[in-house]
Amino acid sequence: MKSVPDKNILLFRSCLVSVEYPGVEASTKFVFDKLGVDYAISEKQTCCTGLGYYSDVFNQLDTSAIGARNFSVAKDLNRPNLVMMCATCYAINKKSVKLLNKNDELREEINTLFDENGLSHLKYEKDDLKPTENIFHVVDILYSKRDKIKENIKYDLSDYKIATHHGCHYCKVHYEDTIGGVRDPNIIDDIVEACGCKSIGWYDHKRATCGTGFRQRYSNPELSFNATADKMNAVYDEDVDILVHLCPNCHIQFDRYQHLISKREGKEYKAIHLNVAQFVALAMGGDFDKVIGVKAHTVPIDSIIKELKEVDK
Amino acid sequence: MTTQQKITDSPIDFAEDIIHDVKNSREEGVLKCVQCGMCTSTCPAARHSDYNPREIIERVLDGDLTIIEEDNIWNCFYCYTCHSVCPVGNSVCEVNQILKQLAINNEIAWDKIYEYLGFADSYFNAAIGAIPEIFFTQIDEDVPGWWEFRQNLADIRDELNLDPPLLPDDDVIDEVSLILTITGFKEKIEKIRDSQEDIK
Amino acid sequence: MRDDLKVGVFICECGGNISDTIDLDEVKDSLDVDFIGQFENLCSLNGRKIIRDAIFDHDLDRVVVAACSPISHEKTFQDYVKPLNPYFMDMANVREQCSWVHSDKKKATQKAITLINASIEKVKQSDAVDPIYCQTPDEVAVIGGGIAGMNAALSLAKQGTKVTLIEQSPSIGGHMAKIGKVFSPVKIAEECGMCLLNPILNELVWNENIEVITNAKVIEAERRSGTYNLIIEKSPRYVDVDRCIACGKCSEVCDIEVPNDWNDGLSMRKAIYRPFGQSYPEAYVIDMENCDKCGNCFRECNMKAIRLKSKPEKMLLQVGSIILATGHKLFDMDKRPEYGYDRYDDVITQSELGRITGVNGPTKGKLLKSNGEVPKRIVMIQCVGSRDEKPDGHRYCSRICCTVALKNANIIKHKYPDTDVLICYTDIRTPGMFEKYYKHTQENEVRFLRGRPGEVVKKGDNFIVRVEDTLKGEFAEIEADMVVLSTAMEPSHGTREIAEILNIGTTEDGFIKESHPKIKPVTTDVQGIFVCGTAQDPKDITESIMQATAAASKVSEYNYGGVEIEPFIAEIDREKCTLCGDCIGKCKYKSMSIQGDEVYIDPMSCTGCGKCLVACTQRAISVNGNIDEKIMATIKGVLSKKEDNQRMILVFLDNIGYTAADNIGVNRLSYPESIYIIKVHSVNRVGPHHIHYALENGADGVFIGEFPGDLMYDEVERKVDKVKNTIASLNQNPERLTFSKVYIPYFSGLARKFIDFDKKIEELNEIEL
Repeated sequence: MKSVPDKNILLFRSCLVSVEYPGVEASTKFVFDKLGVDYAISEKQTCCTGLGYYSDVFNQLDTSAIGARNFSVAKDLNRPNLVMMCATCYAINKKSVKLLNKNDELREEINTLFDENGLSHLKYEKDDLKPTENIFHVVDILYSKRDKIKENIKYDLSDYKIATHHGCHYCKVHYEDTIGGVRDPNIIDDIVEACGCKSIGWYDHKRATCGTGFRQRYSNPELSFNATADKMNAVYDEDVDILVHLCPNCHIQFDRYQHLISKREGKEYKAIHLNVAQFVALAMGGDFDKVIGVKAHTVPIDSIIKELKEVDK
Repeated sequence: MTTQQKITDSPIDFAEDIIHDVKNSREEGVLKCVQCGMCTSTCPAARHSDYNPREIIERVLDGDLTIIEEDNIWNCFYCYTCHSVCPVGNSVCEVNQILKQLAINNEIAWDKIYEYLGFADSYFNAAIGAIPEIFFTQIDEDVPGWWEFRQNLADIRDELNLDPPLLPDDDVIDEVSLILTITGFKEKIEKIRDSQEDIK
Repeated sequence: MRDDLKVGVFICECGGNISDTIDLDEVKDSLDVDFIGQFENLCSLNGRKIIRDAIFDHDLDRVVVAACSPISHEKTFQDYVKPLNPYFMDMANVREQCSWVHSDKKKATQKAITLINASIEKVKQSDAVDPIYCQTPDEVAVIGGGIAGMNAALSLAKQGTKVTLIEQSPSIGGHMAKIGKVFSPVKIAEECGMCLLNPILNELVWNENIEVITNAKVIEAERRSGTYNLIIEKSPRYVDVDRCIACGKCSEVCDIEVPNDWNDGLSMRKAIYRPFGQSYPEAYVIDMENCDKCGNCFRECNMKAIRLKSKPEKMLLQVGSIILATGHKLFDMDKRPEYGYDRYDDVITQSELGRITGVNGPTKGKLLKSNGEVPKRIVMIQCVGSRDEKPDGHRYCSRICCTVALKNANIIKHKYPDTDVLICYTDIRTPGMFEKYYKHTQENEVRFLRGRPGEVVKKGDNFIVRVEDTLKGEFAEIEADMVVLSTAMEPSHGTREIAEILNIGTTEDGFIKESHPKIKPVTTDVQGIFVCGTAQDPKDITESIMQATAAASKVSEYNYGGVEIEPFIAEIDREKCTLCGDCIGKCKYKSMSIQGDEVYIDPMSCTGCGKCLVACTQRAISVNGNIDEKIMATIKGVLSKKEDNQRMILVFLDNIGYTAADNIGVNRLSYPESIYIIKVHSVNRVGPHHIHYALENGADGVFIGEFPGDLMYDEVERKVDKVKNTIASLNQNPERLTFSKVYIPYFSGLARKFIDFDKKIEELNEIEL
């Protein structure tokens, strides 16, 4: 298996996490602190451009130039290991690193633009970062620390029926690097298991998209919500209490739109939605308001989790 | 209907152009397509609309440039499922992205991205990506309580003890603006906006 | 005087294989020799005339052929240079080690010139020596007791050769025994596979020239030129084959039930069992992993055949040649979880369907789902794991799955005409007469859908197969109550293991590689080892038998024709030899012995490594062929063409390493142009003086590779370490010398090592500037 770092980490801030589910960031920090992961957050880092990129507004040159800038921020901090909270940040940054290493033309074009405009300090040299050695998702770190997570579990969540949803941009874009497979993705299931719970494993549409589809959610809601309904109906058929995912965009689609799709489909959906970092943080004793950030959720967390029972030590 | 293929036609050139695009990570994948349909078999857009990823490659290999004018290429979710299962190592998802950039470069479908220019604006204003305000009304209709939540965001973040603050310093914003100006991005965006607002 | 020799260089275009990458005009302009010619296909028969005429017309003393690898055609060109001594010809390998591994035309051309120049210098140092002919023992090991191995064994035995057939499982028979029905393209009908297999099995059992060893594996092999010493580990059967009368009473009293692997786990069997009705040896066997040693069978057996305390045995087998028939296994369905094989009982493989429809199978031939009902609709999914570039998939077509699906569909339609059978395919591959069977299948109302399904899910009682009907351009959800997966054929574990044990080259897909895929079928890249059946690539029964027969025929050729051995072996000067015997103890290959009043050197096992030279205080031993000088001349030849800023790394490899390096080219991988490979008979012959000379005269690095199975491996490793120390004491960087393991099957690893070493040398060069 690939080696996953636990130090010199730049925890890469995500636009959607920041404004939609800030609890994901707080939970990640909470868990990382408990697991002894060495990380920092930088105010100099900007977004990955992913939302714009996948709305076809940004092209590769723009995105990779912004990428090069963020990589230089990471290098200046001597934190070359970028760890993302969002699947799209992960895919976008990994692609940029691959391209900046492999595509001499693109790298030269960006470096020349930097040179000519007084931005030489941002220049990217070939192999400054390695796509498999420096670019990770939080889920990779959690997976590599499964044993330590096991030792730090405070609450027993094993009574809930748990299903997992693996973000497409974590699993499918750079599938060669995906831990836990892409055809039947299992990395979150394994982390859930480390928390003393058992996920339901495979269900229909397990590997399917959440339905966001970037522009589809706003410009093509029928299409978007039909795809989401596939997933929600499958989760409903399995009587799932908690759906655990790894991407804030999936999070929005499920949590914010569950009521709407429930109405469309005429079914009483009940599942609550947690990011894997929130789930682990919760199991490790994170406070609802100060760590998990439940106030940001549309489907109330306490509609399912009414009380927490401590594990038998 | 008969399609005529003249001896001087070179349909494969279209696929060649796509292969050489910076976004294509699949090398000669497009050329190796055998039209097995596994992409369509797993595609959420094919499941719920007329979008057909296999057919996109078929038309690309036919050298059919009119594909970039098709409305339904805009139905792709960018979920990369086709990319992750294609048995010959092609990626319709990436080809689709390339086709759209080609459309935009050819001044086609600018109306499709007009509403999303907000993603560009937020970079110049705040160096982050933010859901364009143009969608806020619709979101608030679809998601009860969302607007209120957004008003309380600062408090929620405070309670979570999140630092650094949401917005970066001005020097960061200036640097990002400069980058997006020198790549030609700003000019492109303004051109698209102007043309669309003229139409309106 | 050697400098006055007249040298002719013959350059082969290899039908573009060489000339497309290397600018041969530039090559010709750069060489200063007495004759130079360029030809389209020098190995063709008229090459003989071209070369011979040029030798006479230009009075040539030495010949260099710049073409493919000597592994491919050295013998051909040694023959073509007659009447010159065969060793007055040297080959510059500008194909496998130049045009096939480099794409930069300019650099490849420069490298070809250097390689040819090195050959010119080397061949000038050659002495006239004659090859030695030897006979190998007329005994053969056939590894693998499936349809291919059985036929190979039988063919050889009928020609009078002693054969040992080694089978890993408790019975011979292989996949064919469980296949149920078979069909041939000529007969539009399916017939009983076991009925066709049984006569072959019986014939084999009764043939006195064949010994069958079951439950056995080759675990070690040592090759001493013409003879193979195989160490075979025989796992205990726990039942005495000579006493057991296969009455089955033991099985009746056994309480343990486990899934029956012969029925692909679809039924249960006891811990003491007979693999199948016609299995051979005709005896029961205990599966000790599952046996609880209750002793019921022991007490029940009237024949006193049970041996619960048996231990594994090791035995030595000496043979002259080996046929590999280690077969295939089926694709692991874990790798394509979207089809639900592990989740649902009624998602099965074609192999399992074969068992279900087989009269000797779990349902006695009735087509039943796991709930005991006859399926209403069966969907077959083709190309599962085949024609699939994604991780764990296979790029190749497994060749038989189309016809297997057609066969099983027909069998179902004959007995259950109301069951709908739909085959989802990408291409139906039925070449030649098989096409008629395809039409027959359509006439039987089997349906076809062109599309590769994305997933199989369970909805209620039925499955949903999600697939695009690509001919209609429509996404479809097809209900089915049984799904059959046509899984890929891949090399068996045994095939992969034996390749490693015998150090035989494999293809990138892990099958045993033929020494030339086009014109040298069934021969491997190791002399005396041949391959047949699905160990070589996916194929059907008929093709396996044809290949088995061809392999047997090749073995006969080899046994009767003898082996030609390169004459670069040690020789004793009897005048000087005092019969002290010091050399005998030093020889790692045990080639030396005192016979009568002289030291005898076995030409089959001597490698010419030169270890004995050092041991002989009388200086009575020499190695034929002027090897030391030839190595030095090659080094000089390479370095004489070095240009400023050009990196040159000399790589010394013996036959094994050289074959691995060739495989890099054969598989079209690449490595840096700085790598110059020098073939030596034994790596041990590369002396400190060669290495010092190279590093002092322009070589940026020296890479020495040795196969760890070579008996001199440790010795060479120690020697290289010593040389490193002296290099350091001479103020040179010892990191410029490296020693590495090489294996024929791991050619990609060798390519990577070349790349890494080149990178390291580049860094050293930068630092030391």
